[in-house]
This record gives sequence, structure tokens and C-alpha cells, in this order.
Amino acid sequence: MANVAVMATTNNNHPTTTSRWNMSSLRSSLPPIPPTSASSLRFTRPSPTTLRISRVKSQSLLPSFTGLRPLPIFAPPSEFSGFDHGFTVIDNGGRVYAMRHGRKVPKLNRPPDQRKALIRGLTTQLLKYGRIKTTRARASAIRKYVDKMITLAKDGSLHKRRQALGFIYEKQIVHALFAEVQERYGERNGGYTRIIRTLPRRGDNAPMAYIELV
Amino acid sequence: MSRPLEPLSVGRVIGEVVDIFNPSVRMNVTYSTKQVANGHELMPSIVMNKPRVDIGGEDMRSAYTLIMTDPDAPSPSDPHLREHLHWMVTDIPGNEIVEYENPKPVIGIHRYVFILFKQRGRQTVRSPSSRDNFNTRRFSQENNLGLPVAAVYFNAQRETAARRR
Repeated sequence: MANVAVMATTNNNHPTTTSRWNMSSLRSSLPPIPPTSASSLRFTRPSPTTLRISRVKSQSLLPSFTGLRPLPIFAPPSEFSGFDHGFTVIDNGGRVYAMRHGRKVPKLNRPPDQRKALIRGLTTQLLKYGRIKTTRARASAIRKYVDKMITLAKDGSLHKRRQALGFIYEKQIVHALFAEVQERYGERNGGYTRIIRTLPRRGDNAPMAYIELV
Repeated sequence: MSRPLEPLSVGRVIGEVVDIFNPSVRMNVTYSTKQVANGHELMPSIVMNKPRVDIGGEDMRSAYTLIMTDPDAPSPSDPHLREHLHWMVTDIPGNEIVEYENPKPVIGIHRYVFILFKQRGRQTVRSPSSRDNFNTRRFSQENNLGLPVAAVYFNAQRETAARRR
């Protein structure tokens, strides 16, 4: 949990969680909130300093825990501007299990033909635009195929070009890729993409990520 | 890597735009109601006008320079015009030497970076010749600005870009 959370709080020792949505850590670290400071929290949400000060004060009288009722006030998930700027959500996307034993292929909730089409489309778009925003599962699923396409382009022979043309939907992207990949990724061995996790999507709270060419 | 710098290095602002620095000044950039947070996405309609920049001032004597650039110009897959300068203000609060140009991300998702430098003295910073092919490192060397003291960035894409799948 320690390495997952990124909170850009510059000048403040924030007493609460490192990972936002772990309930046990939230419960154990939150101080009991006297009702007055709770209401002041609600109204002064936009200004970060009062938020911080009230938390630090009540942190000192920790011992008795008045239950979970005050918690929802801290909860507002969308208000990251309440903390210092630069707060990025790094959590594990709601993944409940810690293990991945035996899971070789990401199925993406689709039958195989649609899955292939989705992956082809996403890699085409990524090669075309350089940075796209999709769900985390899709972003990590297309990494392999983007790297494959770049490796084909690095090889550069006609056979590889035709293989790439069979995968990528737009042929000018293939030709542009074959033309520029040498100077761009000539020295890099693998790892041609980068995934940056970001805020969840509003409509269905799907964990989103930017995937970009390195 | 210290915690405030992690989003900047994950988003490759440290690395492509500036080098590792020590953030010593608090800086808040706000576009009307939306505050800029590292890596969050804003709509071009919101960023059309100049933002309000609050700089946590310890002393009012030192002058600061704020630079806003786009390191993914014209497109993140082919940034041959890296970087594009959008705004430069020196001797804060003071001269706006390069006028605010509102971000127009035509292709792909662009990062827009705000970098704050501390000036050694007043009126030491010259305005650059062109907005394109701007290099923040070279500019700070030429004008003796040293390492930045604060940085923040946001993402933006075209208003009409495909968002849901």
C-alpha cells in the first residue's frame, strides 16, 4: 500500500491515509470529529488550509472513537482539490484479490472476435494519436500489441510490414510508423508504452488510464 | 522520489520539460472554478481564458517567472514542435511578456505545464523569439533562472474528441 498512493501534499504532514479507499486504514487513522469542526469542514472545503488545521487539531485527542457516522463527510471522492494540488489517485482499481495465478489472457468482457477488434482499434488509435485515455484493463491489455507493432516496425522488412498492415486498421499509420520508428525507438529495448492511472470515469466509475508512447 | 514530485515524473514533466527540482513554493492555478491538479483533464472551453495563479509568497521581494508550455505540440505521437509556449509572465505580479494563448489541442491529448522559476533580480528575463520549439531548460539557462520552484500540469484534448470508446 505504501508505494501505490501518490499524494502531492507539499508542505503538510497529512495525518490520514496513503491509499484512499482502504477502509481499515481509513478507520484506524481518522480522528473522532467533534460536530463543530465537521460542519466547518463541509463549508470550507475549497480552502485547503482550514481543512488541514482542523484535522490536525482533532488528531491529538485520538483515544475514543465515536463510530463511523462522521466518516461520510471526509468521503467526498470527487473533491481532490480539497487537498493540495497534484493529488493523483493511485489505487488498485478496486481489485479485491492480490493474485493473478493462471490468468494469461485479458478477456475484456467480450467474445474473441470483438476482443481482437477492440485491441486492433485501440493500438491503431494509440499509434495515431500518441496518447489515449481508456480504462485500465484495456490499457494494460494493449501494451503487448503496441510493443509487437513497434518491434515489427523496427525490423522493417517487407514481410513484417505486411504483417503490421494486417493488424493495424489504417495503412498510412503503418507506413508512418515504419518510417519513424528507427530514430525514435532505435536504442530502446522494449517498453515502448507508459500507463498513467487517472481519475475514474464519471458515468460508471470505471478506473481510467492514459496510455502513451514513451 | 519525493511524494510531491511523483505525479510530475510519472507524467514525464520531469524528464522532458524540466529536471528534478525541489518544490519550494506553493502554487495554485485555477481556471474559474477548476483547480489544476497534476494529470487531471480539463476541457478547452474552460481553459480559454487566463487562469488565476496564486503563489504562496513568503517574501514579496523576490520576483518569479511563470511559463506555460505544451510539450506535445503538435501531437503527442509526433512532437516535432516541442514545446509550444503559451504564456509567460515575469516579475510576478507584473509583465506578461508572452500573451496567453488558449490551448488548442487538435490531435491527441496534450499536457499543459505550468512552471515557476525564481528570478535573481527584476527585469532580467527576455522574451523568446518564437513560441514554437521552445526549450524550457535552455531558456532557464539563458536567463539564469536555475531550477524551477514549482510545477503543475494538466491534460486537455479537443472538445469534440471521442471520449466514450
